[in-house]
Amino acid sequence: MSRQGVFHVGMLAAFLSLAGCATGPGGPIYVPAGGSERAPEPPQAAEGKDETQVWRKSEQTENREPEQQPQRSSKPSYQDAGDALSPAALSLVREADTLLKSGDAQGAIVRLERAQRIAPRSAEVYFKLSEAYVAGNKLGPAEQFTLKGLSLAGSDTRLQRAGWLLLADIRRARGNLAGASQAEERAAAL
Amino acid sequence: MRVSAIGLVLLACWMVYLDAVVTSRFEGRRFEVPSRVYARPLELYDGAGVSSGSLERELALAGYRKGDGVKPGSYRRNGGHFIISTRGFRFPDGSEPRRTLSLNIYGDRIQGFSVSSGENAAIVRLEPARIGGIYPAHKEDRILVRLEEVPQLLPKALMAVEDRNFYSHFGIAPASIGRAMLANMRAGQIVQGGSTLTQQLVKNFFLTRDQTLLRKGNEALMSILLEWHYEKDDILETYLNEVYLGQAGTRSINGFGLASQFYFGESLKDLDVHQIALLVGMVKGPSYYNPRRHPERAIQRRNLVISEMEDAGLIDSAKAARARGLSLGVSVKPSYSENRYPAYIDLVRRHLARDYKEADLRSEGLRIFTTLNPAIQYAAEYAITDTLPRLASGDVGKALEATLVVTAKDTGEVLALVGGKDPQFAGFNRALDANRPIGSLIKPFTYLTALEQPDRYTLMTPVLDKSFTLEFDDGRRWQPKNYDGEERGEVPLHRALSKSYNLPAVRVGLDVGVPAVIKTLRAFGVATPISEYPSMLLGSVAMSPVTVAQIYQGLATSGFNTPLRTIREVTDSAGGALSRYSLEVDQVADPAAVHLLQYAMQETMQEGTGRSAYYSVPKELTLAGKTGTTDDGRDSWFAGFSGDLLAVAWVGRDDNGPTALTGATGALPVWSRFMAQVPQHGFSPVIPDGVSYHWVNPEKQALTDEYCDNARLLPFISGSEPTQRVSCSGTLERKIRGWFEGLFQ
Repeated sequence: MSRQGVFHVGMLAAFLSLAGCATGPGGPIYVPAGGSERAPEPPQAAEGKDETQVWRKSEQTENREPEQQPQRSSKPSYQDAGDALSPAALSLVREADTLLKSGDAQGAIVRLERAQRIAPRSAEVYFKLSEAYVAGNKLGPAEQFTLKGLSLAGSDTRLQRAGWLLLADIRRARGNLAGASQAEERAAAL
Repeated sequence: MRVSAIGLVLLACWMVYLDAVVTSRFEGRRFEVPSRVYARPLELYDGAGVSSGSLERELALAGYRKGDGVKPGSYRRNGGHFIISTRGFRFPDGSEPRRTLSLNIYGDRIQGFSVSSGENAAIVRLEPARIGGIYPAHKEDRILVRLEEVPQLLPKALMAVEDRNFYSHFGIAPASIGRAMLANMRAGQIVQGGSTLTQQLVKNFFLTRDQTLLRKGNEALMSILLEWHYEKDDILETYLNEVYLGQAGTRSINGFGLASQFYFGESLKDLDVHQIALLVGMVKGPSYYNPRRHPERAIQRRNLVISEMEDAGLIDSAKAARARGLSLGVSVKPSYSENRYPAYIDLVRRHLARDYKEADLRSEGLRIFTTLNPAIQYAAEYAITDTLPRLASGDVGKALEATLVVTAKDTGEVLALVGGKDPQFAGFNRALDANRPIGSLIKPFTYLTALEQPDRYTLMTPVLDKSFTLEFDDGRRWQPKNYDGEERGEVPLHRALSKSYNLPAVRVGLDVGVPAVIKTLRAFGVATPISEYPSMLLGSVAMSPVTVAQIYQGLATSGFNTPLRTIREVTDSAGGALSRYSLEVDQVADPAAVHLLQYAMQETMQEGTGRSAYYSVPKELTLAGKTGTTDDGRDSWFAGFSGDLLAVAWVGRDDNGPTALTGATGALPVWSRFMAQVPQHGFSPVIPDGVSYHWVNPEKQALTDEYCDNARLLPFISGSEPTQRVSCSGTLERKIRGWFEGLFQ
């Protein structure tokens, strides 16, 4: 693989970590009512002789609207971009950076996996994982983690561009020149 | 003369035999240590989702005691405020030192997390709870300790009570027998035994405890041989690790290292004088002096040992008096019990079997760090045990079984596994071994195959809900039907999935081709053969709940396969890394197409077959999922996910008999009961590159305005959105109303 390509990746990922935002932990959290000890009652199945109730063979519930109405649910949800890194996750990413600089790619991966567990929807974590795999000369996983990061970059053009350029470098280092220029075109189009 | 010569030869042979026995036992037993299995450590940091109740349970599982929060291994709680003094733990990736932590829990989230003593950190791991072990056949459990790590008072107290001349005798001590008799007479009861520590160790090597003269003679000979072969310190260290100190079910508690954990929930090196005295006292009769069952006897025995220690000059009289005044200080329950999670450990063992030999697991003292989340496991077990009895009554009710598999959506870590309605039962593991037809759980893969062709299929594409007959070359006919027997003409693809109509699913599947659907399933992780018969489009293919969780992982994570893992790391007994099982991701589908599918799976929960989930789950928790039912309700499935968790529930009978359940009335109540208990993020996928949302009128196949009737906001792969536009004949008043409704939704 090309040493120059790797160097480029390293620089790019270092940029990511420096620019990584440290705003609060992402997204609202659902809080169970009254804790698990007093969880709400589940729906009750009708009792008695079931054989006569032919409708129960149906998966479709429209013919047998129960008396109790489910809570009106919201519309299918989506968001424009992944979560920002929480300070806790950021502290692990910084530890990983230090380890990477000292040449301990495996140690960095362990820290980053810990960060990924608490910030699984943050594109930055996956890009950093990609960087650590590049440092360990494992370009297959590096490409996959870049793709995963890109799937979470959403409308954040800074992350999108960083991701596509990272992907281009990795693909070039793997000898996939067509894939590399395709990724570069994506970055340029942003 | 000749008789005595023969006698000598026989004795010599006997000695050679005993020598072989004693050395092999000594060498073999010294190092046979079960593997220890740990839960995942709880990560504490600002923003972590954890309730006060589950934090307390977690602390209890890790052997913490409610107390002053100052002593390592204790915590103090005041409402939502916790002070926790950690003991520190050596993880494979480095040590967590001892710290005192302060935090508040508000709205099931940690706030104001700070380290008040010890090395500062933004995120700290608690010691992981020990959740099981892989034991040698003789079921002895121990935590090996080295002589130099043991508090000096322990061997000294042990010698003062059991064997004063340990360092000077040659294995047996005739003089000490006399002295012991004297001491016992003086005390009016038996305070000393005549056997040396070496003799006791030899006795421990044999399972029977009958006191025949021959046995005594053999013991004495073997003790001498042992002393001849080994150093005193070796013998003492082995004794400390070997001595029997209690029983937990079928597992025996051997050695002071484990006994300290078992009775006090503390590390041996942290024990105080009164605790050391209790353990030394228990050597004489671990069951008779069991401090949990017979606290009075135990305290008397302990105080006697304290006096012996005082007499021997090991502690001064003030210290002795203070120690005698203390309570026993044993934890209420052992800090862990064996096999609390048999189904989960079963999966761990199968994963371990790929890289380790069973014999090594049983004896090498490996440390296995798993991904089990005790709070999630608790919620999963509760969801099954609480819901199942309500699903059916009579014989069907009795025969009903259920499983639940829970994974972390983005890491593939298996967080919880329940193998049946009795979570403690260590038998047939349905989550792994019950291969059952998956019914409509297959449909998302059919529609995904279609949606990956945006020039042919969008969420709005009308599909025919009309019966038809397939005739095969051999003359057989197949006529699929909807579950309710009805036909609706044309339905948009998103509704066909969310309402789980069969006829459109089969039509779409035949259109894209059964081999293409099989290819998708393969990409998502199905490794077993799949029949190309068209009935596979209605889920005739059988899978275990764990396999279903594996293939749904890719649907939940925008097309990235993430192999399921139960193990993060395995180390040797000294903490040296042996194996690490890393996170892997592998893109197997176009994230844009998966995003469209996720829309329809969210719609399933809000308008379709999964909507009864919102009886128990508040609407704020957005979910996505799919029901599955097989003929006569033999299998009731539900697979779905939130922002953090993926769970697969199955309900059915082991004899594959019929039930009156569907996916929505059997597995879904279990699934939603589980989801309702766990603090978590709702599902809200990031719009991938190349997807845009448009207001459309699906009936007219056209773009429309938000305020129009039948308007629906649907995602499209760029370029596949409709080009024509219809506008509704709404009045200005109506438009304004629509605008305001949108604003306040």
